[in-house]
Amino acid sequence: MSSALEKPQIVSHIQKSLNYTLFDCKWIPCSAKFVCMGNFARGTGVLQIYEVSHGELVLLKEIEKSKPFKCGTFGATSLQQRHLSTGDFDGNLHIWNLEAPDMPVYSVKAHKEIINSIDGVGGLGIGEGAPEVVTGSRDGMVKVWDPRQKDTPVANMQPADGDSRRDCWTVAFGHAYSSQERCVCAGYDNGDIKLFDLRTMSLRWEKNIRNGVCCVEFDRKDINMNKLVATSLEGKFHVFDMRTQHPTKGFAAVSEKVYKSTIWQGRHLPQNRDIFMTAGGAGSLHLWKYEYPAQRSKKDSENTDMGVAGTVTLLQNVTVSTQPIGSLDWSPDKQGLCVCTAFDQTVRVLIATKLNRV
Amino acid sequence: MSTAPACSLMNQGTTKTYELPVEHLDYSFVEKCTDVKYLEKILIVLRSGEEGLYPDLISFCEKKIEKLDPKNRILRTNNPPATAASFTKEEWQEITSDIKSWTDEMKQKENEAKYRKPEVECLDSENHAPIRGANASVLSHQNGFDKKKSTDRKRVIPRDYREWDKFDVEKECAKIDEGKQKISSNTISNDGISGIGKGIDTTGMTDQEKMVLADREKDKGNEAFRAGDHKEAVLYYTRSISVIPNVTAFNNRAQAEIKLQNWKKALNDVEKVLELEPGNLKAHLRRATVHKHSANYQAATDDLKRVLQAEPDNPIAKNLLQEVEQKLKDSQPIGKMKKKGKRMLIKEIEGSDDEKEGTFTNENKDSSKPVGGRTSKAKAAMGNSQKKCSHKRESQTNEKNRAKGKDTGGAAAQKNTKKDSDGNSTALKETEPSKYGHETKGGNVENVTIPMASKSQDPPRIDSSQMFPPGSSSETEKGKNNTWALPPAVAKLKSEGNKLFKNGQFGDAVIKYTKAITELIESGVDCPAELSILHSNQAACYLKDGNCTECIKDCTRALELQPFSVKPLLRRAMAYEALERYRQAYVDYKTVLQVDSRIQLANDSVNRITKTLIEEDGTKWREKVSPIPVVPFSAQLHRWEKDPISSAGNETQTTKENQYTSPDHGKNAEDNFISLKQEGNSFVKKTQYKEAIAKYSECLKLKSNECTVYTNRAFCFLKLNQYKEAEEDCNSALQLEPTNVKAFYRRALAYKGLKCYTSSIEDLNKLLKLDSNVAEAQKELLEVSELLKQEGKETSNHEKVRKDILIQEDSDEEEENATVTASGQETPTDPKALQVDSAGSEDPSTRRGAFGNSNPPPEKGSNLKPTNAYEFGQALSLLRAKKDIRACAELLKNVEPKDLPSMMSNKLEGDVFTMIIQALKGHLLEKDPNLVYQHLVHLCKTERFKMVSVLVGKEREQVQQLFSCLLQTKSDDFTSEDVQNLAKNYDI
Repeated sequence: MSSALEKPQIVSHIQKSLNYTLFDCKWIPCSAKFVCMGNFARGTGVLQIYEVSHGELVLLKEIEKSKPFKCGTFGATSLQQRHLSTGDFDGNLHIWNLEAPDMPVYSVKAHKEIINSIDGVGGLGIGEGAPEVVTGSRDGMVKVWDPRQKDTPVANMQPADGDSRRDCWTVAFGHAYSSQERCVCAGYDNGDIKLFDLRTMSLRWEKNIRNGVCCVEFDRKDINMNKLVATSLEGKFHVFDMRTQHPTKGFAAVSEKVYKSTIWQGRHLPQNRDIFMTAGGAGSLHLWKYEYPAQRSKKDSENTDMGVAGTVTLLQNVTVSTQPIGSLDWSPDKQGLCVCTAFDQTVRVLIATKLNRV
Repeated sequence: MSTAPACSLMNQGTTKTYELPVEHLDYSFVEKCTDVKYLEKILIVLRSGEEGLYPDLISFCEKKIEKLDPKNRILRTNNPPATAASFTKEEWQEITSDIKSWTDEMKQKENEAKYRKPEVECLDSENHAPIRGANASVLSHQNGFDKKKSTDRKRVIPRDYREWDKFDVEKECAKIDEGKQKISSNTISNDGISGIGKGIDTTGMTDQEKMVLADREKDKGNEAFRAGDHKEAVLYYTRSISVIPNVTAFNNRAQAEIKLQNWKKALNDVEKVLELEPGNLKAHLRRATVHKHSANYQAATDDLKRVLQAEPDNPIAKNLLQEVEQKLKDSQPIGKMKKKGKRMLIKEIEGSDDEKEGTFTNENKDSSKPVGGRTSKAKAAMGNSQKKCSHKRESQTNEKNRAKGKDTGGAAAQKNTKKDSDGNSTALKETEPSKYGHETKGGNVENVTIPMASKSQDPPRIDSSQMFPPGSSSETEKGKNNTWALPPAVAKLKSEGNKLFKNGQFGDAVIKYTKAITELIESGVDCPAELSILHSNQAACYLKDGNCTECIKDCTRALELQPFSVKPLLRRAMAYEALERYRQAYVDYKTVLQVDSRIQLANDSVNRITKTLIEEDGTKWREKVSPIPVVPFSAQLHRWEKDPISSAGNETQTTKENQYTSPDHGKNAEDNFISLKQEGNSFVKKTQYKEAIAKYSECLKLKSNECTVYTNRAFCFLKLNQYKEAEEDCNSALQLEPTNVKAFYRRALAYKGLKCYTSSIEDLNKLLKLDSNVAEAQKELLEVSELLKQEGKETSNHEKVRKDILIQEDSDEEEENATVTASGQETPTDPKALQVDSAGSEDPSTRRGAFGNSNPPPEKGSNLKPTNAYEFGQALSLLRAKKDIRACAELLKNVEPKDLPSMMSNKLEGDVFTMIIQALKGHLLEKDPNLVYQHLVHLCKTERFKMVSVLVGKEREQVQQLFSCLLQTKSDDFTSEDVQNLAKNYDI
């Protein structure tokens, strides 16, 4: 067993069953608290704030709203304010001050249908430039919002007239290394991944991975885009090396088939961009490490640079539930601490050990 | 165990899923099988249970696969999350307590933050970037997944009016440029770090936020480092430091700089770490690496020892120490350590990945050896070298007395100290060349010097120093700790300053040095050398602190006291360079090179600065550089003492030379000159023309009337296509020696390079007049005249032609040098031969020398008895150069007239012809008209006579006069008809 102990271990630190369906969970920055988002059986939305305290979860606050919450992020808020941006089943984008949750500090009817995914950048000291929230919805639109601008999005990515609208399942910010540069990546139910450049307002790259894209995430939002993880419906995930974009071949990628079940989430460790966890179908979690190739780019036959993908190594895998794990979030403050929610209405606080030694 | 084989025997056939033969589900088969894919299938069948459940066989099969392919996917199992049971008690406790303490900490922090909250919030909005323009939209065109179309559909949204207010034209232009670049390169690389600022605006941030930010930037740096983007890593560490200067970021940046081989920056960072946190082992280890790569092995050893003291089992330190010690050993006898330890670098990379764990240990006090021991060693070594060159020194005493201020020994000692000073850390040090093997005992800042001046004033002291027993192997003068020569207070201050400097406390060191200087001046002790050193040390401190102007001041002061000492010069040069005053820096570096041409740092810097200056000022940059001061020979001398291998031979030669040349100075110059020239020649052989030029230039500084050096240097300039310089050199050569064939030829080439074809042809013609046998010249002449015709039409052709010729010339030159060295070996004991040797080329003066050698009094033609055409030719050309008609007559007397054509072979030229006629007429006609007649008869039979006689213009009168005289003289051997017939041959 000694060799096994050298590897990182995933410890189920706390688990707690709840009485509503959990869709998302997020750590509150600079705290030992996290927010759970979901919907009660009666069809209302719920936010719960828990604190990790002496091996237990303490419920600090419960907020009930009319519409079920699908997703949330702290990405566009300052460390002092720590306002939570949420997307709900009705297509509303709200920003909540969790200290005074009666009225949202920002509210907009962002989409016609459910907001599947939300991401923020420019807050928490992550990403240069304006604080912005991006939402992706079933109505096929991807919209970028600035909390300082009421009612209208600052950018809108939509299908051309006449094109059928695909369900946007996931959105992510990235490339925000300077105040001008910023990219949005979106994944759709038909397997499309699209990369929008917000500086030039153009579609920079697209790719079809043949299966619905459940989650996309850049390894870091606030650097020159480096890697992108995209997970898919049929148990595969792809890691794109985003440093070198070939004119025809695009970005180099490595893919890995995990199980037959869907990979719902892929989340990078905030303290080490080369380690990420995928959460999937049958309640399993996989901890991966991306290893760079010796040379990250090479010349192709026409002497143009093309990227070279690295390899992924499985560090650890555990099965914590029988139901799919719908969301996962690493603590930005404590390396190895993460929270995940599963469709068995349970929230779990996990600890991944020895991450600094891989 | 036994069920499986039995079962397989019973159910002969195949399995359902993969149709494997059932016999394969067997221990022995699995054991033998090495096909992982097949084993996978077996395992799947076994796991499915369709052929029955065999847990043992399953695990056996799994183990087999694991053996073959440990990372096989099929081995991934559904593990339950780890629990307390999967850890040891301690580990589990650690994990839980870690979380507990973290949660407590977070709570506390949050409570603290609450109190601060209101004041911060108001700052919020102004710090943020503006809101993005209007509701811009991009089509994501989901259906058409056609990549070709996709580019068409990209479009840029027009700007919002509000945004125009913030429109930054330059930025937008830059963006457009950027865009263009991207289009041209097709592939878009996102690894540019250009857009990332070096600092972060932290106004209005709480300490907590700053800490988070600094930490995050550092993490980014770590990640970039791991991914191999060292430049990016450096950038992020810099950002982290800009938020809050922290040890880890400095330390990690040092490591990244090491990877980028920016030794200087790395050193700065490490020093910073050690300043913030003395005894940081990683910093010591890294500093050792830096020192090792800047060939500062002693300092590296010190650092490594310190690490090993704290962590005796540190494998990296051990390996590194081993290597360094090896280098140290290697370097001592040979005196050269140019090799860079690449291998070690890689090792260091392996060991450095655990960046973030700051290993903090308490400060260990200095493990280095006590200063006293070192000093005594240095003294011993000093004694040794003193002995070696003592006889030489003594012979130079006169000269030394003459050159009071510009004192050899002082400079020498200074220079030596430079080498072993700054044991730990000077910027100087680390970039310094690794040429001198004796840096080993370094570690003190200039614990220097008995200046030579005081030496000659104070003979007993020299004696005492010479009485030291010979040291082990150090061949050079070590810095001597002569603090006893100073007032004790000053000495103390100085050593304190040195110590502080060594520890990197430059500011404090400056204070000490300043005190020492004032005390020294106040004490009234007249010790300019010591004062100079103090200033120099102070300058080093300023340089380290980046206070370049102060550094320059101090260096200047030091140089006033001790002109041409290397250290202050180098420091001043560096300071100038840092201030981007490249011209001054260039002059200083050049001066340093004159004092010691082997200082790699100076060489490199000169090259670098030259490039910069050329970029700035174009080709005429030299005109803007103030003249480089000529270093008096006395300041250069010690260079030869330094190099034991080459000087061993030289020294014996020098002493012999002494007997021939009377003035000491001249002798030394000669010696120096010869070696310099030889070095120059050897550089030419290695086609290192720039270096050769440097050598030759130095030669000329010693002795500006040496024609060969000019021609040789001209050759090098030609090689480097510096035609103007080449032409100038040829001009100087021709001034000294108007008939130098080579100079003419090279000037012709230079003119050709400058496209002055007419001048070129002129030169070639002159040359052919002097020596018609130069095939290259003839060829060249043809080509140049061709070029002259084509001029304006075909320039490319010209280029090609010139190249051809240069190659030919090259081989020519090499031959020359080869013969030179060969002859040097043949007659090593003959001082005259040596001198000739040094002349280094086949020009007339050399020929004279060679000729004169075989016939002792070379100046007198009367003794010339040439036995072959070569000797005759040599003698003739020599006489021609000297226009010694009498000697020429003697020569002709010694030559049988009938041999004249063969002797002359094809060397007959206009002025030779004239000279012969003059000699015949002036000196031989009266004594021996018959001989004159015979000579004239045979002269017209020589090759090229026809051509030469046509070319002879006004000299024809002389011929006429000769013939008329000849007609008047009566002789038995020839009649007047004979003379008249002969005169017809001479077109008279």
